[in-house]
Amino acid sequence: MTAVLDLPQPPAAAPTEALLRVYGLVAGFGSHAVLHGIDIAVADGEIAGIFGLNGAGKSVTLKVIAGLVPAWDGRIMLSTHDITRLSAERRVALGLGNVPQGKQVFTELTVEQNLRLGAYQLRRRDPAHYRPLLEQVYARFPVLYSRRDQAAGTMSGGEQASLSVARALMSEPRLLLIDEPSAGLAPKIVEELFATLAQLNRDGLTIVLVEQNVTFGLQLVHTAHLLRQGRVVYRGDVAHLDRDRVAQELGIGRLLRARVAHSGVQQPNEEDGPHGHRARDDH
Amino acid sequence: MIQGLIVGLVQGGTYGLIALGLVLCYRGSRVLNFAQAEIGTASLFIAWIVVGAWHHPYWMGALAAIVSALVIGLLFERLIVRRMETASRLTVAVATIGLFGFLVAVEAYANGPTPRYLPPPIKGLGPQIAGVYVSWTQILTYAVIAVVALGLTFFLRRTDFGLGVLASAQDATAARLVGIPQNRVSMFTWGVAAVLSALAALLIEPTITLIAPNTIGPQLFLGGLAAALLGGLTSLSGALVGGLLVGVLSAEATQLAPNGVAGVYTVVLFAIVIGVLLLRPQGLLGRPPARAESA
Amino acid sequence: MSAAGIVDAGRQPAAAPHATQRRALLTPRRSNILLVLLGAILLPSVTYRAMPLLPSRYPLALAVATSIAVGALSLNLLVGYAGQISLGHGALLGVGAYAAGLASSGAGLPMWLALPIAALVSGLIALIIGFPALRLRGLYLAIVTVTFGFAMYNFVLQWNAFTGGSSGVSLVRRLWGKTIITSQADMLSAGLVVLVLAWLLDSNVTRSKLGRAFRAIRESEPVAGSFGVDVSRYKLLAFVLSGALAGVAGALYGFTLYLVNSETFNPPVGVDYSLLLLIIVVVGGLGSRAGAVIAAFVFSLFEFIIGDRFGSDSIIYGLVPILGSLMLMLTVARHPDGMAGMLRERRHRRRRRAAAADDGDHAMPALPSMPRPETAARPLAMERSLPVLEVESVSMRFGGLVAVDGASLRVDRGEIVGLIGPNGAGKTTLFNCISGLLRPDGGTVRFSGRDVSALSAHERAGLGLSRTFQQIGLAKDQSILENMLLAQHVLAGYGSSSALLYTAGVARSEDEMRARAVQAIAALGFGGREDVPVRLLSGGQQRIVEVACALLTDPELLMLDEPSAGMAPVMAESLADRLRDLRDSMGRTVLLIEHNVPLVLDVCDRVYVLTAGRVLAGGTPDEILAHPEVVNAYLGEAVA
Repeated sequence: MTAVLDLPQPPAAAPTEALLRVYGLVAGFGSHAVLHGIDIAVADGEIAGIFGLNGAGKSVTLKVIAGLVPAWDGRIMLSTHDITRLSAERRVALGLGNVPQGKQVFTELTVEQNLRLGAYQLRRRDPAHYRPLLEQVYARFPVLYSRRDQAAGTMSGGEQASLSVARALMSEPRLLLIDEPSAGLAPKIVEELFATLAQLNRDGLTIVLVEQNVTFGLQLVHTAHLLRQGRVVYRGDVAHLDRDRVAQELGIGRLLRARVAHSGVQQPNEEDGPHGHRARDDH
Repeated sequence: MIQGLIVGLVQGGTYGLIALGLVLCYRGSRVLNFAQAEIGTASLFIAWIVVGAWHHPYWMGALAAIVSALVIGLLFERLIVRRMETASRLTVAVATIGLFGFLVAVEAYANGPTPRYLPPPIKGLGPQIAGVYVSWTQILTYAVIAVVALGLTFFLRRTDFGLGVLASAQDATAARLVGIPQNRVSMFTWGVAAVLSALAALLIEPTITLIAPNTIGPQLFLGGLAAALLGGLTSLSGALVGGLLVGVLSAEATQLAPNGVAGVYTVVLFAIVIGVLLLRPQGLLGRPPARAESA
Repeated sequence: MSAAGIVDAGRQPAAAPHATQRRALLTPRRSNILLVLLGAILLPSVTYRAMPLLPSRYPLALAVATSIAVGALSLNLLVGYAGQISLGHGALLGVGAYAAGLASSGAGLPMWLALPIAALVSGLIALIIGFPALRLRGLYLAIVTVTFGFAMYNFVLQWNAFTGGSSGVSLVRRLWGKTIITSQADMLSAGLVVLVLAWLLDSNVTRSKLGRAFRAIRESEPVAGSFGVDVSRYKLLAFVLSGALAGVAGALYGFTLYLVNSETFNPPVGVDYSLLLLIIVVVGGLGSRAGAVIAAFVFSLFEFIIGDRFGSDSIIYGLVPILGSLMLMLTVARHPDGMAGMLRERRHRRRRRAAAADDGDHAMPALPSMPRPETAARPLAMERSLPVLEVESVSMRFGGLVAVDGASLRVDRGEIVGLIGPNGAGKTTLFNCISGLLRPDGGTVRFSGRDVSALSAHERAGLGLSRTFQQIGLAKDQSILENMLLAQHVLAGYGSSSALLYTAGVARSEDEMRARAVQAIAALGFGGREDVPVRLLSGGQQRIVEVACALLTDPELLMLDEPSAGMAPVMAESLADRLRDLRDSMGRTVLLIEHNVPLVLDVCDRVYVLTAGRVLAGGTPDEILAHPEVVNAYLGEAVA
C-alpha cells in the first residue's frame, strides 16, 4: 500500500529508559471529566507527540502533567519521583520545562528579563551557571540576542515562540512540555522552530509535544499518541505507523489525497475520515 | 498657597503609598483591597499603646505598628485570599470589605471612645520656604516616601524575586510554569501592601493629630483610591504621581474653601474620581479598562 | 426530505404538565394581587394586634428593622442580581431621608408623597454617579460609591444651610389632612406595607426580562451582550432601581425616628450602614429576597435585643459589629453565595441525578425552527438582495502580535460558509470582530448592506446576528428554560417600567416567550428537564441548547464557533445533517468555524481558509482543495 503521508526518515531511534510515565490519568473541569484514563510512557531522549482533534484532551493532558490542572485519578512519574500531587513550581525544580500554549511570554518585560525569570530556580541553586547558560541560549537563538533589551510583547509571533522555548531552556529541564508550537505561526517559521527542537533533542533533551499539525508533528517525533475523547486510541513508533489510520482519525484524508493529486500520483478511492463518510451530493 | 503645597505634598505622599498598596494588590491578585488604609490605622493604635501607654520611644512604636500591620496582612492572605483563588474577584473584594469592617469594629471595641495621638517623630521646625516653615517631621516624611518609592522600584525591577512579582502580575500561569513560587509572591504582595499602609498612617498622623476610628482611615483610603485611579490602577509610578497630585489639589481646596464648610476636599476627591472615569478611565499612566460587554 | 428541521409533533411528548398547571393557578399577576391584599390589609392588622403583647421598645425596633429590610432588598437587587458592588448605600439612604424630610416638613407633603419623592431623588443621584462607572467592566461602581459616601458624610451633610447640619431635618408623619401617625405600632404597619410593595417590585423584576438580564450580566457580560442585552444600560438601571429603593428605605427610617441629621447614617463608631447592608445581603444570601429580608430582621433585632438586655455600653454589645464583619469574611471565603447559596447547592445536587440520567451519546436532535412571533419588534428591514455579511480588510493587533491581518469575506443569503485554518490563525478573533465583541484596528463589517462597524455586540445581536462561543456562551448557572428566555430578550415586547409593574402586556409577552421556549425544549428532547442548570449537562447537550437559543430570535445570520468541539462521535456526525437542515428546510444563513475539515468540505457552500491572520483562499470546497497553498497550510511543506 502506498504511503499516504510523505515523510523523510525519522530521527535516530530512542533509548529505552522511561523518563515520564503517566498511568490512568483522569481529570476535567467542574463536574465533567475530559480525560478518561490516559496512559503514556516517554523514554529518556525521546520525542513523543500527542495528536488528536480539538476537544480530544491533548492540551489538558499536558496541563495535568505540568501541574496546572489537578489529576482526579491516576499517577504521574517523572523518573523516580511521583509528581502527581506536586505543585507546578516543584515540578520545574525536578526538571520539567514548559512552553505553554500561546507562548505566554511576559510581554511587558524585556527578552533578557524573560530569560532571567526562566532561570529563576537555577539562579538560586547554582548562580555561577547562569551566565554561561544564557550565552549558550543566545547562541542557539541569535535573534533573541539582538532583541535582548526589547519588550517581549513587541516581537513577532515567531520571535515570541523562540523566546518561550528559550525561557523554558533556562531552567535546564530534562523534559520539555510543548503545547501546540505551530499555532499562529507561518510554515517557514515552524520549520525553523522544529529544526531547533530536533537539535535540542539530539543534545539530550526529552520532549513531549502536543501538535495540531500532524504532518509537521510526525516529521519531528519518535512516537505518536493519538487521543480521542480523552483516551489514547492509537499509539505507534513513527517508523511503523499506520499512516492511514492516523489520517482517518484526524480527518485529513481528503486533504492528503488532494496533495497527492497535485503531485500527480494516483491513489485508490478511499473512504473519508470518521465524520464525513458520505460522498458529496450535488446540492 | 505654599502652605497648601507643603501640606499637600506630605498628605499626597501618604496617599501615594496607599495607592501603591492598592495597585500592588490589584495587579497581583486582581483585587481592590478596601482595607488598604484601615490596616495602617489599626496598627497606629498598636503604636499608641507602645508609645502613649507604655511610654517607649517613638521608633519602637513605629516598629510595632509596621510589624502588626505585616501580621494582619499575611494572616489575611493566608486565611482568606489564598483560599479564594478560584472565587470571583468580586467576592474577594467583598472579603476585603469585611476585613475593613472587622478592623474598625475591633479598634472601636478595644480602644473605646477616647481619641489618641502620637507625639511627632522629630520635634521642631526646620527651614523656611517662601516664608512658610517646614517642620522636621514633614521633611522626614518626604524622605521616607522617597526611600520607599525608590526602594520598591529597585527591588521590583532589579531583583529576581521582584521581577517574579511583576511577571506573576502579568501572567500568573506562565510564572508558575517557569517555576516562580506563587505562594511567596502572594505573601509579598499582601505583606508589602500592609507595611505601606502602616507607613502611610504613621506619616499622615502628625498632620491629622488624631487616632480614632473613622478619621484617618477613610481619608487615607479615599485619597489613595483617587490617587490610584488618577495614576491608572495598573501603574505603580502612576500611583505615586497620582498621590502627589491628589494631595496638593485637596490641600489647596481646603485652603481656599470658605470657613465653616469643613471637608471640602472630599468633594475634590469625588470630582477627581468622576472626572477620571468620564474623561480618561485609564488614568495618566495605566492601561485602558475593558468596556462593558466586550471580550 | 422530510420536515426534519421543523418541530416534529409526533416526537413531542405532552408539554410538561406541572409547568402549565403551576401557571394556571398562581400566575405572576395573581400572586401580585394576593401580595398587595396581604400587605395592605392582613399584615398591618395582625401586627397591630400583636404589638401590645411585646415590651414597649419593640415596635420601634421592628419598625427600624423593616426599613433596614427594604434597604437590604435594594442592595440585593444590585449585588445579588446584577453582581455590582455599591458601598454608598448608606449615603443613598441618607439622601432619601433628607429628601423625604424636606418634602414633609419643608413642603408640608404627606408621607405617601414624600416616599416617592425620596425614591426619585435617590434614583436621580444614582443615575448621575452610576453613569461614569457602569460603562466599564470592573469594580468602578464600588470606587465611585465609596467616594460618594465619603463626600456625602463629610461635606454635604455637614453643610448647615442645606441639610441643617447636626440639628438635621425633621420628618412629619402626616397621612392626609391633619392625621398624623403617632404610635410606633402604626408606623410599623405603614413600614410593613412599604416592605410588601418593595417585595412586589422585586419579584416583578426577577420574573421579567430585567431580572434575567441582570443575572446574565452577573455571570458573564459578553454572553449577556451576545443575547442582545445592553449591558451598560442594564447595569445602570439596576443601580438606579437599587438607589431609588434605598431612598425609600432611608425615608422610612427617617419617618420612624422623626428626625434625620448628619449623625443618623454616619455613626461615629460602629458599623457604617453601607457595610451593614452589605453584610446582611451577603450573609443572608446573594440573590435571595427572602434571605435578605430575614437576615435584615435577624441582624437588626439581634443588635437591638443585645443592646436592650446588656446595655449599649456593654462589652457584648460592642462585639456585635465585630461578629458581623467576621461573618462577612468567613461567609464569602467558604460560601460566596451566602446562606441562600448553600441551600441552592443542595437543591442542585438532587437535580444532578436527574440530569445525569441521560448522558449517552445520541445523534443531535432536530433543531426547532422558530419563526419570529408577530408581537415581537422587527429590526429594520434587511435588504434581501445584498449579501448578509461583508467583511472588508479587518485587522486586529495585540501589541506586537497581528491576530487578523486585512481579512475579507462575504456570506450570501441562504449559504453555509465555513472558516477553517490552523489553530492560532485568528478565526475566533475574526468572529469576535464580526459579532462586536472586539473593535478591530481597521476594516469594516457590513450586515445586509448596513455598516455595523461602530455598533456594540448587543446592537448587532438586535439586528439579527446570533453567535455561539467555543466555550459555550450560556448562563451556565441558570436553567435551560432561563437561558431560552434570556435568548429571547430582544423579542420581549415591553419596556422596563412595564416590567416593574408586571402589566398585562408583560404577562402576555412572558407567556408567549415561555411557550416558545418550552416548545423548543421539548423538541430537543429535554422535556421535563427545563429547570436543570445548564452546567449539569454534558458538553454536547450544552452545545445543542446553545444553538437552539441562537435560533430562537429567528436570526438573519447564525455564527457558530467550533460547534463540533467536544461532541461525542455520533452527535458530531449528525451535526452535518443538522446544518444542512438549517440551510435547506429553514433557509438560514450560517457562518461557521470548524476544525473538522471533512465536515466543512461536505456541508459548506463556500470555504475561507485563514492562516496567520490572513485569508489565504476563498471558494467552493473543490476550489479550496485544488489550491496547493491551502493544503500546505494544513499539512506543512512536504520535505523533498
